[in-house]
Amino acid sequence: MGLIDQAVDALETEVDNLKSNVKDAVEAMNYEYSGSLYDTVLTTKLGKVVGWAQKNALWPATFGLACCAIEMMAMANSRWDAARFGAEVFRASPRQADLMIVSGRVSQKMAPILKQIYDQMPEPKWVISMGACASCGGVFNNYSIVQGVDRVVPVDVYVPGCPPGPEALLYGVIKLQEKIMMEAGTDKAKKRVA
Amino acid sequence: MSVTDQGLLHRDKDTMTLNMGPQHPSTHGVFRVILEMDGEVVKTAEPEIGYLHTGIEKTSENKRYVHVIPMTDRLDYLNPPGNNLAFCLTTEKLLGVEIPDRANVLRVIMCELSRIASHLVWLGTHALDIGAMTVFLYCWREREMILDLNEEISGVRMMTSYIRIGGVAKDATRPWLDGIRDFIEYFPAKVDEYERLLTKNPIWLDRTEGVGAFTREEAINWSFSGPALRASGVNWDIRKAQPYSCYDNYDFDVPVLNNGDIFDRYRVRVEEMRQSRAIIKQALESLPEGPYKTPDNKVSLPPRETLHTSMEALIHHFKLVSEGISVPVGETYVPIEGARGEVGFYIVSDGTNVPARVKLRAPSFMAIPGMCKMMEGCYIADVVGIIGSIDIVMGEVDR
Amino acid sequence: MTSEEIIEKVKAGLADAIQDTDLPQGDAVIFVAPDSWHAVADFLKNDADLKFDYFSDVRGVDYLLEEREPRFESVYQLYSIDHQHSIRVRVGIDEDNPSVPTVSDLWKGALYPEQELFDMFGINVEGHPTMERLIMPKGWEGFPLRKDYPLTTETVTFSYNRDFKSDLVKSKPPTR
Repeated sequence: MGLIDQAVDALETEVDNLKSNVKDAVEAMNYEYSGSLYDTVLTTKLGKVVGWAQKNALWPATFGLACCAIEMMAMANSRWDAARFGAEVFRASPRQADLMIVSGRVSQKMAPILKQIYDQMPEPKWVISMGACASCGGVFNNYSIVQGVDRVVPVDVYVPGCPPGPEALLYGVIKLQEKIMMEAGTDKAKKRVA
Repeated sequence: MSVTDQGLLHRDKDTMTLNMGPQHPSTHGVFRVILEMDGEVVKTAEPEIGYLHTGIEKTSENKRYVHVIPMTDRLDYLNPPGNNLAFCLTTEKLLGVEIPDRANVLRVIMCELSRIASHLVWLGTHALDIGAMTVFLYCWREREMILDLNEEISGVRMMTSYIRIGGVAKDATRPWLDGIRDFIEYFPAKVDEYERLLTKNPIWLDRTEGVGAFTREEAINWSFSGPALRASGVNWDIRKAQPYSCYDNYDFDVPVLNNGDIFDRYRVRVEEMRQSRAIIKQALESLPEGPYKTPDNKVSLPPRETLHTSMEALIHHFKLVSEGISVPVGETYVPIEGARGEVGFYIVSDGTNVPARVKLRAPSFMAIPGMCKMMEGCYIADVVGIIGSIDIVMGEVDR
Repeated sequence: MTSEEIIEKVKAGLADAIQDTDLPQGDAVIFVAPDSWHAVADFLKNDADLKFDYFSDVRGVDYLLEEREPRFESVYQLYSIDHQHSIRVRVGIDEDNPSVPTVSDLWKGALYPEQELFDMFGINVEGHPTMERLIMPKGWEGFPLRKDYPLTTETVTFSYNRDFKSDLVKSKPPTR
């Protein structure tokens, strides 16, 4: 039964890959925050409170690039009020923001600037990749569009659409809030601040 | 390139170099201006564009004609039906195909609704930049009504791709027409509300009157178009000068003012919103019965019912969906009056189903050098007002 | 003036500078060589009956796939605000050392589109104050809108192409 043997071999190599990946990830995590202040001083319950505060006051940095920016502005307006989720204060300076909503297509010329703005944001920070162009290059597979901003910055939530309606973006923000709450008080959240 | 490579740290000048970078809340997109300032006065403004270059023109050379239409939506993303219409009119001119009257009227309604929506975004963001936040919230309230109408007829809020080669994508539905009727009853009171907030407001007048003025000759020489040109005293509207889609059937005024400053451009656009509403009203009243796309099945899809009975219809449908339309060899250009000015596509066809060259004539692209000339001698606070009043959209500047 | 009258006037005023004329779908089109383009432009702008004072656009076209000489073409669109007529001028440009004289001294609106001609096609516009990259990043190699420039640098990844996708995933920065 050559097929079954092939399938078993494929499954075994997959499982081995996963095991080695997990080992690498655990080692990296331990190395990274061994000896950080957060770990020794704060507890999980307090971490949950901090996470609750962070998720209810996500201040986006204005990073509207193209058409998705108009729907982001619509999300901030009176019909789909982002203010009820704490996200209506769009900070112009990235140093005062903790959420970057990359809304629009990122061209090769803009990619270094995207990285620079991301670097200027203080920890903890999250990134929402809004729209098809930011998530994967969208309709444009050519010499000038970066095929997905996750090649430049790490992304937490991807919102599909072209452009995604404000309700979809709001759902993305809610999902990000759930992610923050899930990670709050755990090692993942400590990684962000340390 | 680093700051030192660009020579921005030289101290041998008296002026200060200020970078109004691509990420800025008031640049209306990813537009960079490098300002040489003497105190608060701008000596020169050097623009830098290209941060949103999408390669749409080159991508269009690899896509069939009907696939280029959604790409054109994303050029001037505040007036997608305008881009669609320009592309379709140019292709139809090369094909030599006649558009039925109902399709023309539906196209006019769609384009004028989109012009109102675009001007609402302009007014909201321009007022927000100058400081009037309330107008931002009010304008989006009306814009949501128009986007709901878009969604009703095409399924998409913004990038409708409703206007196709040969006509429109879908016939007008009763809810859509009723929605437009309600909107045009409701809208004039809202435009009066915006004017009540801004036109006689002393803060608004102080910030916009006399700022960024361009004379008639300068506006023509620097290739301005649309409201920026009309605010400088040039009576040039392509809907009147080179009418398309039966615009000569409608009775509307073209607002022309003389000072060419920010305040005049504001007044021209507000009046244009009123005139667009008048055009939509006349178009609705005159909507004729008939086909909504050309009956020539080499260009537009045959009606679905005929696919069950007619062999030719089936073959045409198959050819159109798999191969697309074949446009005869030639090159042409048809301009339309978009929300920002003269929009047009220059299409070169080599006889196949894929265009050989598609070039967008973008009004914002042509306006940028003139806009930066306008900034010389203004205060830094006026730079924001000037950028807002020319109403640039980087999607069409960088393509 | 109608398109035919415009062409007659232009042929009368500039007989030897005009290589050819055409009336496709009712538009007035003239063909000019690069050397005589500035003189033609001057005539078109300043002649009292023509008075083309509004510069609409200039586009570059690359006819490599049709294998015709000259390879490039820059196409100018001019309007007259007072007389309300338009003309299109096609200037054929050779493949080696492509260059065309600037008209930005006549119409300031030509500055940006001519710079874009250089950026996208590599056509040198003589006399233009800034022959630099406009839309592409500074230091970009190649001229994107030429037909021999590839459209895309990488193929589309689909989820069934597991080998390709796993290599791609390994090269991305780690997501949190």
